Amino acid sequence: MPPGNEGVPLGDGAPVDAKSYASAMLNILADAADEKARLADTQRAILNILDDAAGERNRLEATQRAILNVLDDSAQEKARLADTQHAVLNILDDAANETARLQATQRAILNVLDDSADEKARLADTQRAVLNILDDFNVEKEKVEQVNVELRNEIAERVRAEEALSRANAATEAANRELEAFSYSVAHDLRAPLRGIDGFSQALLEDYVEKLDDQGKTYLNYVRESAQQMARLIDDLLALSRVTRAELRRSPIDLAAIARTVLAQLQRSEPDRAADLILPGEMAAHGDHGLIKIALENLLGNAWKFTRKRERAQIEFGQTPQAGESVYFVRDNGAGFDMAYADKLFAAFQRLHKASEFEGSGIGLAIVQRIIRRHGGRVWAEGEVERGATFYFTLEEGT
Amino acid sequence: MKERAILLVEDNPKDEALTLRALKKNGIANEVTVARDGAEALDYLFTAGAHRDWNGGELPAVVLLDLKLPKINGLDVLKRIRGSEKTKLLPVVILTSSNEEQDRLRGYALGANSYVRKPVEFHEFADAVRQLGLYWLILNEAPPVSGGPLPHGA
Repeated sequence: MPPGNEGVPLGDGAPVDAKSYASAMLNILADAADEKARLADTQRAILNILDDAAGERNRLEATQRAILNVLDDSAQEKARLADTQHAVLNILDDAANETARLQATQRAILNVLDDSADEKARLADTQRAVLNILDDFNVEKEKVEQVNVELRNEIAERVRAEEALSRANAATEAANRELEAFSYSVAHDLRAPLRGIDGFSQALLEDYVEKLDDQGKTYLNYVRESAQQMARLIDDLLALSRVTRAELRRSPIDLAAIARTVLAQLQRSEPDRAADLILPGEMAAHGDHGLIKIALENLLGNAWKFTRKRERAQIEFGQTPQAGESVYFVRDNGAGFDMAYADKLFAAFQRLHKASEFEGSGIGLAIVQRIIRRHGGRVWAEGEVERGATFYFTLEEGT
Repeated sequence: MKERAILLVEDNPKDEALTLRALKKNGIANEVTVARDGAEALDYLFTAGAHRDWNGGELPAVVLLDLKLPKINGLDVLKRIRGSEKTKLLPVVILTSSNEEQDRLRGYALGANSYVRKPVEFHEFADAVRQLGLYWLILNEAPPVSGGPLPHGA
């Protein structure tokens, strides 16, 4: 509504002249024009304001729209958030269940762990016990290792000893082969020149006898005797080496029977000699018949030889138990020997009597000793000059 | 009938001389041929070498065989003699210095008819030769080895 229609009084009862009226009217009109201008100004101002306000409003509306848009977005966001929240809540819900289960499991585990702790304690006990055992075992093991070391050393020692033994055996075998070759050569080659010496000396004595005087003949006979003596020595040496080389074939033997045969041969060789021969009917032993016979031939032959000067020879072959083993003996009442030389009796070519008194090369007792040793036995002698001798021997007890 | 010869296989000239002397002293007049090593002995017996006409192709009555010989030793000579149809029955006497067991064993194993050790002492040696001559040349009847092929199974 326009503001000029109000505030102007027109009819309040006081007489109004025309002029005054007109003036008043003019004034009023003037005033109203002013008022109208002011109103227009105000209106313009208001319109400007309103204009501004409209701009403002647009801006507000834009802002509002923006806000609404934002709020719209936010609402969507919120919905999503709510969804998310639901989802989270669901998850939390599930998680709660899970937690419960976890707790149950945890409790179970704790129970188990509890049990396990007991078990662990027991295990620890067991472990300690085992450790103690291991400790003991270690001590024991060290001992065993010590013993093992000793055993190893012993084995090494034994291996060395065996190697040494096998080397020694190889050396012995080589030595035996050499002895064999040597003996073969001696048997074939050493006697032939002696046969030449003896034979051609004899040829000289037969074919040139008229050209030789007695001295010459004597010398030639010395040559022959020397050759023959050397031939016997060679034969004795070969016999000695044969006794060493011969294979030992043991069997049950009757020593008395062998001795009887040997003594009978000796008696036949000198039937005029008076002799008491004392020996048992039987004497069982174990040995190589051939070699034992050679040994008895030498022992009984010596007894026969060294009793030659006795009016009546006494030769005894017997057996005497000594310290649980059988000791055999050959005893005579012959020339005997000085015990001071007892250690020389059994050496090859050692003689205690002059060749002019008793013949022999000194090989017999060396042969006896080799034969007895090869049978695992011992041989020794007792004697007294001119009061006889006793030769003892043992044989390894056979099966 | 021609007296049959002796084949003496001996490499030692002194032993040869002593053997011949002993034969002569004992009145054994048979021809003695000396082979001085094993190869020569086989030549004589098998007329392979320089001795083709020896003894008119006839075998000796006996072979006196030393063991230790040059070239081919006595045991190998004996092996060849026993291995040949012509000489397998020929009397062979081993006459050697050695009386080693292994020599005797192998000698007899290869078919020697006798084994005699030569004694060193000459009288013993001469006596051994005398007995050998007496036995193998007079007493013993030699096998019919020289007259062509033997009857089957002989």
